[in-house]
Amino acid sequence: MAPPPQFQRSSSPSQPSGKSEISDLKLQLRQLAGSRAPGADDAKRELFKKVISHMTVGVDVSSLFSEMVMCSATSDIVLKKMCYLYVGNYAKGNPDLALLTINFLQRDCRDEDPMIRGLALRSLCSLRVTNLVEYLVGPLGSGLKDPNAYVRTVAAMGVLKLYHISASACVDADFPSMLKRLMLNDPDSQVVANCLSSLQEIWSAEANTSEEAAREREALLSKPLVYHLLNRIKEFNEWAQCLILDLISNYIPSDNDEIFDIMNLLEDRLQHANGAVVLGTIKVFLHLTLSMADVHQQVYERIKAPLLTLMSSGSPEQSYAVLSHLHLLVMRAPVLFSSDYKHFYCQYSEPSYVKKLKLEMLTAIANESNTYEIVTELCEYAANVDVSIAREAIRAVGKIALQQYDVNAIVDRLLQFLEMEKDYVTAETLVLVKDLLRKYPQWSHDCIAVVGNISSKNVQEPKAKSALIWMLGEYSQDMPEAPYILENLIDNWDDEHSSEVRLHLLTAVMKCFFKRPPETQNALGAALAAGLADFRQDVHDRALFYYRLLQYDESTAERVVNPPKQAVSVFADTQSSELKDRIFDEFNSLSVIYQKPSYMFTGKEHRGLTDISEELGNLSVEAQPAAEALPAQIYEANDVDLLLSTSEKEEVRGPVNNSSAYRAPDYDSTTAALVSSQVPLEADLSIPGLPAYNPQVSSAIDDLLGLGLSVAPTPAPPPLALNPKAALDPGSFQRKWSQLAISSSQEFCIEPRAVVALATPQTLLRHMQGHHIQCIASGGQPPSFKFFFYAQRAGQPPSFFLVECLVNSSSARVQVKIKADDGAAAGDFSALFQAALSKFGE
Amino acid sequence: MLQCIFIISNSGEVILEKQLQGHRADRSLCNWFWEYAMTQGGELSQLLPVIASPTHYLFQIFREGIIFLACTQVEMPPLMGTEFLCRVADIISDYLGGLNEDLIKDNFVIVYELLDEMVDNGYPLITEPNILREMISPPNIVSKMLSVVTGRSSNVSTTLPVATQSCAPWRKTDIKNSGNEVYVNLVEEIDAIVRSDGNLVKCEIYGEIQVDSNLSGYPDLTLSFANPTILNDVRFHPCIRFRPWELYQLLSFVPPNGQFKLMSYRVKKLKSIPIYVKPQLISSSGSCRMTVLVGTRNDPGKPIDSITIEFHLPSCVTSADFTSNHGTVNILADKRCSWSIGRIPKDKAPSLTGNLVLESGLSSLHVCPVLQAKFKIMGVALSGLQIDRLDVKNMPTQPYKGFRALTRAGEYEVRS
Repeated sequence: MAPPPQFQRSSSPSQPSGKSEISDLKLQLRQLAGSRAPGADDAKRELFKKVISHMTVGVDVSSLFSEMVMCSATSDIVLKKMCYLYVGNYAKGNPDLALLTINFLQRDCRDEDPMIRGLALRSLCSLRVTNLVEYLVGPLGSGLKDPNAYVRTVAAMGVLKLYHISASACVDADFPSMLKRLMLNDPDSQVVANCLSSLQEIWSAEANTSEEAAREREALLSKPLVYHLLNRIKEFNEWAQCLILDLISNYIPSDNDEIFDIMNLLEDRLQHANGAVVLGTIKVFLHLTLSMADVHQQVYERIKAPLLTLMSSGSPEQSYAVLSHLHLLVMRAPVLFSSDYKHFYCQYSEPSYVKKLKLEMLTAIANESNTYEIVTELCEYAANVDVSIAREAIRAVGKIALQQYDVNAIVDRLLQFLEMEKDYVTAETLVLVKDLLRKYPQWSHDCIAVVGNISSKNVQEPKAKSALIWMLGEYSQDMPEAPYILENLIDNWDDEHSSEVRLHLLTAVMKCFFKRPPETQNALGAALAAGLADFRQDVHDRALFYYRLLQYDESTAERVVNPPKQAVSVFADTQSSELKDRIFDEFNSLSVIYQKPSYMFTGKEHRGLTDISEELGNLSVEAQPAAEALPAQIYEANDVDLLLSTSEKEEVRGPVNNSSAYRAPDYDSTTAALVSSQVPLEADLSIPGLPAYNPQVSSAIDDLLGLGLSVAPTPAPPPLALNPKAALDPGSFQRKWSQLAISSSQEFCIEPRAVVALATPQTLLRHMQGHHIQCIASGGQPPSFKFFFYAQRAGQPPSFFLVECLVNSSSARVQVKIKADDGAAAGDFSALFQAALSKFGE
Repeated sequence: MLQCIFIISNSGEVILEKQLQGHRADRSLCNWFWEYAMTQGGELSQLLPVIASPTHYLFQIFREGIIFLACTQVEMPPLMGTEFLCRVADIISDYLGGLNEDLIKDNFVIVYELLDEMVDNGYPLITEPNILREMISPPNIVSKMLSVVTGRSSNVSTTLPVATQSCAPWRKTDIKNSGNEVYVNLVEEIDAIVRSDGNLVKCEIYGEIQVDSNLSGYPDLTLSFANPTILNDVRFHPCIRFRPWELYQLLSFVPPNGQFKLMSYRVKKLKSIPIYVKPQLISSSGSCRMTVLVGTRNDPGKPIDSITIEFHLPSCVTSADFTSNHGTVNILADKRCSWSIGRIPKDKAPSLTGNLVLESGLSSLHVCPVLQAKFKIMGVALSGLQIDRLDVKNMPTQPYKGFRALTRAGEYEVRS
């Protein structure tokens, strides 16, 4: 383990002990400010270095601002650069002092050395001080017309910086159209590239408000421009090529000839040394040929070798990004790579993130022709020193087995794993054997023989233990020892802490009971008793359910618990094909790496989240997100409508029951005497017309009855039901908010996963909508977010709840203020709100 | 595009921060990153290269104890981020003559200057080392000497590279070199996986052609191979013209000045490997006897140098002792054994024997160590690739041409 982080270096003794050193620097800078002595520049340079190094480690040296500016009059370019760096860092915090720098920066912008002109212009644009915008326009304008390409390059990017400081100043000065002219006419490729990236950002941002900008944005994809760039693409540097390729991937050619033209022009880009260029080209190829199935297939063939080279020749980080893309392609065309499987063999020294992706690739490309080799290779990994890779490898063998027709050899291999006697290998294998048996019941004989020999003591992991227990129950007729192993496990019920295992144990012992009643009777009684006494709601409920089922009718119980099963033909895929297509559309983007389409992790208005002011007066400005949320809301409402017709009650109560409002009644032995006859649940269960009690239940159950139950549930508080279709316009929200008093105010913590999910605040809005709490406005910058929610009580009289919710994602704290029409219900609503919030991110 | 670049030491300290956009990324991001790294087991080299933090998407690469971290809030091509960081690391390491915390701290002004030119407003700009060198000269002894002699103490060249205006962006037009020579190096790495029974699972060669060109003016070079068909896939430096390659498998190019990687290639399905490594493990009641034999398998015609065998002892081994009849064996702190052989002697086959004591309760060893071999062979390109000739045009006098070849082990592993 590396030592703990040391970010707060300023407090450590080796660092300047605060003020004294800084004031010392200040003094020295002052002395040098006017000096024209021969060694002054060197002395200044040392001082500047000190200042910058303090800045770099995070010490606040902004108090030296005016002294630094005074010293900036120099011809030494390194001094200038350090000064620019310093000024860029602190100007925003000292807008008044920043004015001092304007003078010398503007002068430098007219320097005869193009390098200094460029640097000065870049620094000028990086000051980020709103009230200095007027001083920017002039130098930028002349920068765009500068005879030197370096200066024009800087100016083109400077326009974008200006746009982000003040969009109106940028548009008013007519910079976008100047950029456009430059982009079409400038001889220098880097100037063209910078114009393109600036224009893309500016027009995309403007497009929301101006139709002309939207048209201009479209024009970036027009045929003449695309060809203008395509024909020159080799002159651009590699990064500009990426940019152009990205633009072209959105271009829609008019006919097939054009598609082939573009592909011919770009084909040699596949051989480029920069991986980003190669992937960008591949994206263009794939998108262009989507409509031509056979050419699309040829494209796959063509891109295979470059992709494999990229994967095996780059750094592990690059391999990872490339492998993620390969994985996506393999999902669409598994046959493509089936003969190149050896490329995905794991190398010992690779980092595990690469190995994991490689294992997934091997699983995906396994087919009849290569399964044997792949499985042999995977078996090697099972003995790997890296335990997590060993586990993944075993899982991969299992997955291959489940997708193959000929599993003969694989089953043998899996069973050999069980003989390795390593607990994690055994554990993983057991889970797989279970799945295998569900798909290929015909193998039960071979598997059971081996599984029967495993001592349950050697299996500790809940998943593996559950699998073993499932097999014991399912195949108890074939395993002579099964009832006794189960009995043994039930005897040690208390040592088993996983509810999953306990649930499986209950089911398995039931199945076993139907097959071999005399041997299992005692175990079943003990299991049901233990289950009923369990404090876990699920375990308790299942035990009770089985118990009543047995009480009702044994054969019905058997039909419920142990019906004849059909082999599973296909296990559900975790990712829908629609989702995969979405990701494919976003080829060469982060979506591929996260294996999620971008809408699931990135918000469109990610950067645009405007600060919401304390006053609600701004709400009208915020009406946009609310309006955007509306369609989703209506959609949701429709869904709920459908459901409501059948089970209105459950639907509405659902979220409440999951909250803390409802607690499982504890088993209380002191009230045991009250029990058997008055168990109220029995009445619930008995359906009119059927005997309520089956007197022929086995003696085990009689025992159990003797134990008694007190499962009378305490009446749950009348749950607060919310109207799923609540609607409130911003105006009336604002009115209500100002009228009502705060009826509840709370502060609490949220889970870390919720904080992570908050990376896209939209997910919270969707989540809360799922709980019938609508969002009317939201905003904020990380780490603090602000949301306004509202909800309406279902039924009469309709009463609204308004919520102001402040979330701080760095401290994971949430402040909630609730105002309600009906103040008495605010407490219930608050609990409900908190419960809904607590489930966020699950 | 990229919002900010942080350089972080392997103890979690932020060495350097370079904001790229008006929209600043807070330094607390590094805190989040570091905590995340610690929850992932603290092994920095095993961290995912692309991570989603609550507020940003992070790209990170880990090089020689230094983390290069970049963040963005918008969707962008992932390789662009990763590849760019790799370039940043390469170039900084090239400028400073290595990478470590102190070097960066001593030269942070240079690093700032470099980053300033390499990226503007988050868009990668110039990453071509030759051009950067013309804008910012590296802090080497020569430039220090110069500054003493001439009294000019700037490491920034006063002229701006005109390369951006020439139609070959990697070369300015009026280069004058005192020397008149060009060197071509074939450097190949052999990657192989060998099973315990000696069978070859996979064997592949990754090769690079490195050129060091010290030619004046605007030379035009053509390089041809005797057997270009053995190349499986090639990647080119931007200077190579694609047509001549496609039609005649000729490399025709105007070289950048100085050292550069002209092309890289792969050669698949190699049948022969130069050395064999035969490990054997025999377990008996709580201990395990390990022997490793090493020898020449297919003589490459030149001596095989600096052979080293390395492996990790499995965690269930409590102690081990090794003896060898040639070379030295070291067991390092993290249970890593390193057996350096050097050259294989003529009279005997080097062998390593040792006894592994297993954890109590284990009767035999189930986890097998993987042995990694390192070696290098000077003067041979194992793939068999041969350079036929190199023609230089556009030059008043024919330059001196030098050719060299080297093969070394890349990922050469033997399973036991």
